[in-house]
Amino acid sequence: MVQLNRQYGRQETASEPRKIRVIGVGGAGSNILDRAMLDGIDHVELTTANTDVQSLTGSVANQKIQLGRNLTRGLGSGGDPELGLAAAEESSDEIQSVVAGCDIVFVCAGLGGGTGSGAAPFIARLAREVGALVLVLVAMPFTFEGRRRCAQAAASLQLIRENSDAVICFENDRMAELALPRMGIHEAFAAADVTISQSIRAISNLLLQPGLIRLGFDDICSVLRESDARALFGFGEADGENRAHDALVKSLRNPLMHRGEMLANATNVIVQIRGGANVTLGEVGIVMEELNRHVSDRTQLMMGVAIDAGMGSRLSVCIISSLGDSSDRPLKAEAYPALQEPERAEIEVTREKVSDPAPPAHVPEPVITLRLEDERPIDVVKLDAAEPVEAVESRASRKENGKEAASADKAAPKAVPKKIEAKQEVLQFDAVSRGRFEKSEPTIIDGQDLDVPTFLRRRVKVG
Amino acid sequence: MARDNIFVGLEIGTTKVCVVVAEARHDNTLKILGVGNAPSRGIRKGEIVDFETAKRCVHDAIADAEERSDVEISEVYLGISGGHIRSFNNRGIVLLEEGREEIDEQDLEDVRTNAREVSLPMEDCVLHTIIQHYFVDGQGGVLNPLGLFGKKLEADFHIVYGIRTRIQNAIRCVKELELETADVVINSFATAQAVLDKNYKQLGALVIDIGGGTTDFVVYVEGAVKQSGVIAIGGDHITNDLSIGLKIPSARAEKLKIEEGDVTLGNAFPGETIVLRDETGFAGREIERETLNQIIHCRVREIFDIVERQVDADQNLNYLGAGVFVTGGSSQLRGIEHLAGDVFGLPSRVTAPLPLAGVTSAFENPQFSTAIGLVRYAHLVHLDRPVARGILSRTMKRLSGIFRT
Repeated sequence: MVQLNRQYGRQETASEPRKIRVIGVGGAGSNILDRAMLDGIDHVELTTANTDVQSLTGSVANQKIQLGRNLTRGLGSGGDPELGLAAAEESSDEIQSVVAGCDIVFVCAGLGGGTGSGAAPFIARLAREVGALVLVLVAMPFTFEGRRRCAQAAASLQLIRENSDAVICFENDRMAELALPRMGIHEAFAAADVTISQSIRAISNLLLQPGLIRLGFDDICSVLRESDARALFGFGEADGENRAHDALVKSLRNPLMHRGEMLANATNVIVQIRGGANVTLGEVGIVMEELNRHVSDRTQLMMGVAIDAGMGSRLSVCIISSLGDSSDRPLKAEAYPALQEPERAEIEVTREKVSDPAPPAHVPEPVITLRLEDERPIDVVKLDAAEPVEAVESRASRKENGKEAASADKAAPKAVPKKIEAKQEVLQFDAVSRGRFEKSEPTIIDGQDLDVPTFLRRRVKVG
Repeated sequence: MARDNIFVGLEIGTTKVCVVVAEARHDNTLKILGVGNAPSRGIRKGEIVDFETAKRCVHDAIADAEERSDVEISEVYLGISGGHIRSFNNRGIVLLEEGREEIDEQDLEDVRTNAREVSLPMEDCVLHTIIQHYFVDGQGGVLNPLGLFGKKLEADFHIVYGIRTRIQNAIRCVKELELETADVVINSFATAQAVLDKNYKQLGALVIDIGGGTTDFVVYVEGAVKQSGVIAIGGDHITNDLSIGLKIPSARAEKLKIEEGDVTLGNAFPGETIVLRDETGFAGREIERETLNQIIHCRVREIFDIVERQVDADQNLNYLGAGVFVTGGSSQLRGIEHLAGDVFGLPSRVTAPLPLAGVTSAFENPQFSTAIGLVRYAHLVHLDRPVARGILSRTMKRLSGIFRT
C-alpha cells in the first residue's frame, strides 16, 4: 500500500546549518559590525579584531580579539599596515581558533589605515587555510583622505584578492552620495557602514535561509569571482500596495548601483526577493520584469525567492553583481561554477585555470605596480599609460609582470604570503577606456557601450 | 543670383564638411559645378558639439565651393545624421467619400498625413515620410494611384524621425551663415541616391555608409525604402581603438589606419611588423601588422554585425538582389568588401558615387557619396515637385509631361 506523504510543503533542507562568522578588522571593521549588530543579524557569530583596546571595549560584538597584545600594547597601529600585519601575526593562534570550524567567513575592514589594511589579508588567509569560504567586504578610503592612504588601500586590496574567494569593494567616494555633503563626516561614514552591514545581512540571509528558489554560495561566487571587484549592490525594502516596484526602485537607487546604469555591463546578477508568506507570483514577476529592462540580453539573472515570516507585510529586493567585463567570454563550464559541485576544491581548480599562463582571452590591462618606498611613500600607484608599451603583453612580458608583482609583494607589507599557491589574474581596476569619446554621449546598443574598443569588450587577444 | 536650376548639397560630417554645387541641365541630367571642402572640427558622431567652431568649418567649405563653382550659394540641402535618428514603417488609410471614385492628389496627401499620425515622443519630429507602396481597394503593387478608381486608398510609408532640437542645431548653423535650408535629408537616404541607380533599387540593395562618426544604412527592396538607421559608430572609433590598443596618439593612429590598415585577418606574414616613424623620419617603435589588422577587424565586423541584426532578415535581407554597397570614408579600408560579404552572405562591393558630368574625376571617391547624393536628391525632388497647386499648374504639368515624351 502506498502511503501518500501529506506534507506538500517545502521539505526542509537536511544538511546542518552552515556556520558563518563575521570578523570586523580594525576601527572601521568594528564599526560595521556594530551597525550590523544594531540592525539585527541572526545565526551569525560576530568577532571584532583590533589593535586598539579602547575601540575594542566599545564594540558590541560577542567575541573580541586584541591583535598584537605585546607589540602595540593596546594602542592602535598608527596607520602603518606593517604594524597591523605584525600584530595580527602575533595573535594568529587566537584568530585560528576563532575561524576553526567555520564554513563561511566574512571579513570586513576599512582599508587605508593600519590595522584593517595590514591584518585583513592575513586573517582572510588564515580563514581560508582552515577550509572556510572567505568573502571580504572592504571600504576603500575617501579620496580626500590622501594619496598615501589610497595607495595603502590599493596595495592591501590586491593582497586580499589573492587570499580570498570573493571581494566586495565599497568605494567610500561613491557611498558619500548617500549622505548630503553638508551632513557631518560621521554620518557619511555611518552611511557606508549601513550599506556594508546591509549587504552582510543580505548575503548571510541568502545563505542561511535557502528559500523557495534557492541561491547558494556557489551562485555568489560565480557572480563575484572574475570581477574587477567593483561590486554592484542594491538593497531595498518596501511595504504597501506597490511594494514590489518600490523595493526594486529603492535597491536601484543605491549609490553602488549607479541608478541601475551599471547593471547593463554585468554578466551575472543575483536577485533575491524576500517577503512574508503573502508574496505573490505577480510581485516576483514585476520585480524581474523591471529588472530585465536594466540588463543586457546576455546577462544571466539568478533569482532567489525566500519566504521569511519575520518580514511581515514587507518585501525586500537585494541585487548583487559586479563589474567584470566578461560579456563575450565563451560559455564554458568553468565559468559556471553553479553547474559544478560548490565544493571548495572545485573552486581551487577553477582558480588555477584562470591563472593559467595562456588564458583563452587575455586583455591588456593597466599594470599596477606598487612601490612602497621609505622616503617618499606618496606617488605609489603608477599606471603605465604614458609608456609606449605593446598593446598586448607577450608571454614573456607577462612573466615579467609576474616578477614585478612578486617584487611588489616583497616591498609591500612583508611576511604576508610568500607562497601564493594560486594567483588570481590581475584584474582591471580602472574603468575601461573610452579614449576620445570619454566626454561624448555614449553609444549604447544592446547594453554594450560601443565607444569602448571592440577588442577590449570582446576580450580578443590581439597580437 | 540664385538660379532655379542650381542645387547645393551640404554635408556636415564628422571628418569633413563638404559642399557640392550642381546644375540641372535641360535634358534632366546633373552637372557638378564645384565641390568645396573643409576639415571638420567641433563635430562628434555626426552632430555638432561645438557650435562656433563647426560654424567656421561650414563657412570655409561654403566659401571654397563658391569660389570653385563661381556660384553664389543661397540655399542648401542639408544632410543630417546622428544616433538619435530612428525610423519605422507605417500604413496610412484614406476612404473616399460617397459619390467620388477617382483618387486625386488630395487623397495622396491625406494618406501621407494619416500615416504620419503616430504618437512620437514630444521632443521628436518627423524628417521623412517616404512612400513604399500604394494599395487601392486592397490591391497591392500600385505605383501611382493618381487617377485610378477606388473606394479605399492605403499606402505604406517609411517614416524617419529624430530629436527636434538636435536637428535644429545643424539648421541653425546654416542659418547663421545667412543661408537657407531648402530641405533636410537624412544622410543614408541621400547616399543611396548617389550610389544606387533605379535598377539596383528595384533589385534590392543595402547601402552602408561608414563615415567618420556614424554609420548610416538604408535598405531598398523593389524600389522602395524598407528600412534605414543610424549607428553612432564610425571611422573615429577605429582610430580610437587603435590609439588605445597600440598606445599611440590619435593623429598617428589615423595615419596608420589609412596607410596600413586592413580589415582582413591572416593577411600578414607571421611576425610582420610596421615601423612607426616620428616626424623627423627616425624609426621608432614597431608594431605587429596582425595586431593592427585585428583591432580594425573587430570594430568593422561589429559595425556590420549590428547592421545585420537590425536589418530584418525574413523581410528584407533575403531579397537583396543587388547585394551590399559599402561607401563613405571608412569604406576605403582594405578588404572591407570581403568582410561585408562574409557577414551578410551577399555580394558586396565598395562604391563611389555614380558618375556625373562635371569635375568628377577627383570626386569619384566613396568619401563624397553623401554630398553628391544630396544634390541628386534635390534634383529628384525638383523633378517630382508639382510647381504649384491649382488646375492651371496641373494642366501645365501634364502638358510638360507630354512635351517630355
